[in-house]
Amino acid sequence: MPRERRPGRTLLRRAIAGQARRVGISSVLSAAHQGGEALVPILIGVIIDQAVGTGTIGDLVVWIAVLGAAFVVLSASFQFGTRTGEYAVERAAHTLRLELTARILHPRGSAETGRLPGALVNVATGDAQRVGMVNLALPLAVAAFSGVVVGAIALLRMSVPLGLLVLIGAPVLLLAAHWLGKPLQRRSESEQEYAAQAAGVAADLVAGLRVLKGIGAESSAARRYRRISRESLTATQRAATAKSWHDSTLLGLTGVFLAIVALVGGRLAASGQITIGELVAAVGLAQFLLGPLALVAWANGEFAQARASADRIAAVLSTAPRTPGGDENQGPVRGHLRLTGVESAGLRGLTLDVEPGELLGVVLADQVGATTLAELLGRTRDPDRGTVELDGRPLHTLDPVAVRTAVLVAEHDADLFEGTLHDNVSLGRASADAVKTALDEVARTLPDDVDGVIAARGHSLSGGQRQRVALARSLAADPPVLVLHDPTTAVDSVTEQRIAAGIRELRRGRTTVLLTTSPSLLSVADRVVFLADGTVRASGTHADLTRDDDRYRSVVLS
Amino acid sequence: MTERALLPIATAAQTWTAVRGLLRPRWPLALLAVAVLTAGTAVGLVTIRLLGHIVDLVAAGRPADAVNGPVVALVLVAVGQAVAAGCGLTLVARLGEGMLADLRERFIDRALGLPLDQIEDAGAGDLTSRVTNDVTVIATAVRSALPELARSMLTIALTAVGLAVLDWRFLIAALLAAPIQIHTVRWYSGRALPLYARQRVSVGALQQQLQETVGGERTIRSLRLQDQHQELVRVRSLDAVDWTMRGIRVLTQFYARLNVAEFVGLSAVLVAGFLLVRSGSATIGTATVAALYFHSLFAPINTALGLVDDAQAAAASLVRLVGVAGLPPASTSDAIGPAAATVAVEQVDHAYRSGRPVLSGVSLDVAAGERVALVGASGAGKTTLAGLVAGIRRPTAGVVRLGGHKIEDLTPAAVRRSVVILTQEVYVFAGPLADDLRLARPDATDDELRTALSRVGAGDWLTALPAGLDTVVGDGGHRLTVTQAQQVALARLVLVDPPIAVLDEATAEAGSAGARQLEAAVEEALTGRTGIVVAHRLTQAVTADRVVVLDAGRVLESGTHADLAARPNGHYATLWQAWSHHRPPA
Repeated sequence: MPRERRPGRTLLRRAIAGQARRVGISSVLSAAHQGGEALVPILIGVIIDQAVGTGTIGDLVVWIAVLGAAFVVLSASFQFGTRTGEYAVERAAHTLRLELTARILHPRGSAETGRLPGALVNVATGDAQRVGMVNLALPLAVAAFSGVVVGAIALLRMSVPLGLLVLIGAPVLLLAAHWLGKPLQRRSESEQEYAAQAAGVAADLVAGLRVLKGIGAESSAARRYRRISRESLTATQRAATAKSWHDSTLLGLTGVFLAIVALVGGRLAASGQITIGELVAAVGLAQFLLGPLALVAWANGEFAQARASADRIAAVLSTAPRTPGGDENQGPVRGHLRLTGVESAGLRGLTLDVEPGELLGVVLADQVGATTLAELLGRTRDPDRGTVELDGRPLHTLDPVAVRTAVLVAEHDADLFEGTLHDNVSLGRASADAVKTALDEVARTLPDDVDGVIAARGHSLSGGQRQRVALARSLAADPPVLVLHDPTTAVDSVTEQRIAAGIRELRRGRTTVLLTTSPSLLSVADRVVFLADGTVRASGTHADLTRDDDRYRSVVLS
Repeated sequence: MTERALLPIATAAQTWTAVRGLLRPRWPLALLAVAVLTAGTAVGLVTIRLLGHIVDLVAAGRPADAVNGPVVALVLVAVGQAVAAGCGLTLVARLGEGMLADLRERFIDRALGLPLDQIEDAGAGDLTSRVTNDVTVIATAVRSALPELARSMLTIALTAVGLAVLDWRFLIAALLAAPIQIHTVRWYSGRALPLYARQRVSVGALQQQLQETVGGERTIRSLRLQDQHQELVRVRSLDAVDWTMRGIRVLTQFYARLNVAEFVGLSAVLVAGFLLVRSGSATIGTATVAALYFHSLFAPINTALGLVDDAQAAAASLVRLVGVAGLPPASTSDAIGPAAATVAVEQVDHAYRSGRPVLSGVSLDVAAGERVALVGASGAGKTTLAGLVAGIRRPTAGVVRLGGHKIEDLTPAAVRRSVVILTQEVYVFAGPLADDLRLARPDATDDELRTALSRVGAGDWLTALPAGLDTVVGDGGHRLTVTQAQQVALARLVLVDPPIAVLDEATAEAGSAGARQLEAAVEEALTGRTGIVVAHRLTQAVTADRVVVLDAGRVLESGTHADLAARPNGHYATLWQAWSHHRPPA
């Protein structure tokens, strides 16, 4: 797909522009901080020169006061500069998180389905944060640059050759360190990644602990973990060794650089071209300048990471919608569904009518086809060929939200959300009566009170309970058209029987499609359509089909 | 909310013992690391002395060439310092990583051996968060904080010695900063720790909200809940931003207070220099060295003090890891005698919470090779009974026997040689499929794995997998369907090959079509074994030798399918009627 070469660029610029004022303030304050830090060694030199060497108590007091003023400036500007910068980081990340959430939840869905939820959550947390970080990296880079300028001016005023030595030497030193460190760093990173495996395996084994205990595999699991942990240990130790030598090489190079500055500065001072205080300041500045220069390098690294993260975010934001086009609204709904010549995954030329108010059972041996059909009816998918119509209007001309207001598709693996049982069923829309009725019909043996809290994604309930709550939710919503896909797979047969009667009762006169192979449910349907090989094979009541169609019998009964 | 009995947390004394235990086999390495780092830091301090010497030479009006000697020495010092630091840091990493690996392995070993009841009482999250968060916190501490802290502390200590060597009065002046620093650290740790804890909670809540929202994306779309979820994410995200900013405010105040200490100390050293030079007890060079020494302390002091919260976080995580890792190892002695094939349950009670019995007075004898189906509505106690028979739970009262031996007298290994349970949970371990299956039988050949899979009807999709047995499955790998995952579970059972197998709703969540496919696989996997099956679909009851109907924790009926189905007004007969109502007679 032809796309902008680095889609992340624009996003990155937008993240900065959105916080431009804060980034600006933080830059100014951070620059003041760096300037203050640069002043400290210079002032030490001046105090040695003007007070300690030759001066009076009065000189000492004055210069200590100046030093104090420098500290006030550097400390205050650090505090407020950092806070403003960090706030810009957090706000930018927050904005991106919301944009990503909106895109992920977009009614038109996403054409790419390859991303796992975990990966998307990482994009919304880690990547959003890394992009936000440019709002701190930028002020600090500006500040570091100012620090270098202040140091440069001070040095050049003392002595042009000494100043040039430091100003050229320091960046050369850092470049050398960078160049030396590159292969080491690459190695270290790849090995760190490998080392993270041990953590992943541990979490995986603990997550499957019940299964391990059931088959008595605890000790073989522990042995496997030990093996992976040892491999990972070897890798981390190699990585740590590489990093240690990288750091110490930088340390050695810095020492040699200082020696050269001392050599040149010492000779200049000995020949009287600079004062002793200036020599002290030059040595101090040579050391100090490495700080801001390293900061520039750090900021550069942050930018590189942010660009990679921005690309990932942009890729999510720019995915094509799955059901593009069509934005008309649906008027009052009679509830007549018609599929004409529909071709899609698992469906081959399917033509099917669901009359208004009908309770229709649809039996598909093939799970793929059933899922496709459910998706088509809720317009989370458009057919490859053919049309799906609601009351004579093709779904692909309608706004997906309008479609779902008329047609509620309840998948068999629908999620519950954190909150009370009542909230989960009512969704803040259904009346208390509707909730009560729906729960009575399907969920009589549920946890005691409707105000009890259901944990995230319903994991505090058993599979059967989850399914029944989800079903009650669909029934309480009372949509004009309801599509239920395998609503009772985890429910025992007595309960299933009762639920079937409940559905029949509550959906009287409203169009309902039951996508299922459960005989209890199918027996309450007005009519059952049996699909085989993606198209209609037979149609009739459950009893008729059971009697007349061997293949139907083998799919539905056992 | 009831108080949860968390997994054990070590006391300070236990933690120290554990750390010493990890250190003991490595003490030569530890000594060498400390020696090399100390030597390197000491050499580094010579740098500033040499600079001071140059200042003195210049002040004494010596010729320019006089500085050459000290400069050569500076270069040598730089090289020496670098080599020592490289060696020292490598040694520290070897030491720390080795100890960490030992600790995490022991932790996993003990964690896997914990009884299921104990893990569930503590909440599954407790163990998971220890194995993920706590291990990560400690690994980070070992990898970055430990070497940095070691270097900073050494630099601070040796610089103090250096100041004292110049003139003890310089050290006294420098120490004026210490009370401010101590006070700042106290102020900070009192304020920051609860704040960071709150911040982690808030970030965790955001993470969880995103997982729920992103994971439930399809449901949200079909129910048109976008706006609610967008709002939930917004509120949680803002809350996380808010707490993060509070943390940053405290952090910046912390460094600002340290700035005050820097100023006080530096001024004091300069004033001391002024007085000492005037009284003739120090040269300008010495005063310069003292000031530069103190200036060079800024960074290591900030580093060391800034690591205070890392250190505290690591300590908090360490007690949680040692709490589990310090438990006695599970007995690994192998079972003696032949594996048992019969089960006897005698008057067993079980309650997860006292006063709420799940099973009361349940008795059940299962002969070798017999197939028993447990039937009943949700909450009747089927799963609990299955867990008791398999020894993953202990009865509150009564006895469970395997082959005549009380289950509590058998070692876990002996229990597992006799009985295996497939629980409701379907889990595929991340990694190659073969590795997953070998958890069940570590020495199985590839052929044996393939045979096991095809016995449970998984042969077809196995050949369709991109890399066969080596296909990476589970989290982050190739996604198996629920049916396939359950076939993997049955294949594990076939590989373990126990005389008794307990199956708990193994076919429940596969959807109707998948369920029928799985029933055949279950038949195959149970061939030749004593089988106790929690029957979700009554077809499983029809094929069993005996049906046991549970209701509200008691055995209501027991007999063959035919007998029970024919019993007028019987509980099972009612169930069976409901089930077969819409099915023509077979």
